[in-house]
Amino acid sequence: MDTLQLFTFISGILVAAASGAVGSILVVRKMTLLSDALSHVALPGIALGILLNFNPLVGGIAVLFFGVLLIWYVEMKTKLAIESVTGVLFVTALSIGSLLIPQQDILEAFFGSVRNISINDAVLQACIALAIVAITLRYLKPLALSSIAPDLSVASRVSQPLMELFLLILIAFTISVGVSFVGVLLMSALLIVPAVTAKNIARSFKGFVGLSMILAIFSLTTGLILGNVYGINPGLATVLVSACCFFVSFFFRPKM
Amino acid sequence: MNAAPKPLLEVSDLTVHAGVNDIIRNISFTLDAGEVLAVIGPNGAGKSVLLKTLLGIMPATSGAITWSAGVHVGYLPQRFLVDLYLPMTVGEFLDLKPHRTISNERALELVGIERGWLARRLAHLSSGQLQRVLLAWALLDDPQVLLFDEPTENVDVAGQESIYALLHHLQESMHIALLIVSHDLHVVNRYATNVLCLNQKMLCFGTPEETLTKERLTTLYGEHTHFKHTH
Repeated sequence: MDTLQLFTFISGILVAAASGAVGSILVVRKMTLLSDALSHVALPGIALGILLNFNPLVGGIAVLFFGVLLIWYVEMKTKLAIESVTGVLFVTALSIGSLLIPQQDILEAFFGSVRNISINDAVLQACIALAIVAITLRYLKPLALSSIAPDLSVASRVSQPLMELFLLILIAFTISVGVSFVGVLLMSALLIVPAVTAKNIARSFKGFVGLSMILAIFSLTTGLILGNVYGINPGLATVLVSACCFFVSFFFRPKM
Repeated sequence: MNAAPKPLLEVSDLTVHAGVNDIIRNISFTLDAGEVLAVIGPNGAGKSVLLKTLLGIMPATSGAITWSAGVHVGYLPQRFLVDLYLPMTVGEFLDLKPHRTISNERALELVGIERGWLARRLAHLSSGQLQRVLLAWALLDDPQVLLFDEPTENVDVAGQESIYALLHHLQESMHIALLIVSHDLHVVNRYATNVLCLNQKMLCFGTPEETLTKERLTTLYGEHTHFKHTH
């Protein structure tokens, strides 16, 4: 393993941990479709990065950040369901992104391009991912409360719109660091599949969030290793590993 | 020095709109410490909306809601749906309470639940058991007022009677004021200090003896076309 691979591997562990933590909130909040749609919003940013020769990671972050602010604002102003707003934004972003992105780069943008990650990218991704994990775990209680009992959350003077914006920003950053591993089409797999698997098995909330993080790390690291050994796309391998974990989890469900 | 203490809650001329429709119109009342105020009225009268507006869950269109300074308000929602597969224990749920002055164990003790329940899964509780856990949640920050929105569906009669007995006990022993939305006139007659009859607008406010007359109840629950009340 050379230095670059080591950095990519460490960055992958942290990115997976962030996906597992944020994904667990999305699953209890029943916002799984949102993350799927939102990940496509990164595409125009990645395209601009490739075309204008700046870091696509930064382009993705910028566009996603703008995207979540727009979704949040439109939802606030119009009371449209957040999923409808995201639906419109995501098909628009996907079309613009696919038009802009050079043909030879499109599959990598869709399914991940681990081999294009530079040491600088890996370090930046690792730092952002570490911050996401720390912030999510620090604010896990208000995030969980506003997800499972919105009325009780508001009655306890926790602002629901602010929690929503906070979560959207966390999702945006998680997606932007995850897309280079699994691509925009499969990013939701890294966010959602480990979390729904953990929900199948866990008996407590702490166990659920912890397990979701562990399963995401296991899937991504196994995917990276399989990709390396068999010369297949590590993003696709990661998703398949996480899907296998999901099917196996049915045999470990706690008795009701 | 004020001779009479200020009320815990003072509502004047409260109106709440949803879209273009009035849900409640020109409601005024007060709630004093240790008092039990029952809000009654037919379905769709705006009772739950009133509670949600008092809590800040829904915005008021006009009028004033004045809580006395530093008051802690507990809330028991009408419906609390727990995903059947939610991996969360009762203890973890109580830990989510942002402001607290008593321990989870003490709160469970107040609602007559054993400590062992802390490790039970929220999703495995019956609706009556869940209601007690929600009451324990509400008691965690030592509230001076509890707002209770009585469930309309899946009501287990024995469970409801015991929750009222419990609320009554808390009101007497801890001097907690109660604001309850109820459908059960028996409960209202038995426990309420004051009654507020609501059907979009306020039709009466006073003690059960003076408000719950046969004529008034017909007006409140009868056909809308029979409204002839003036104040």
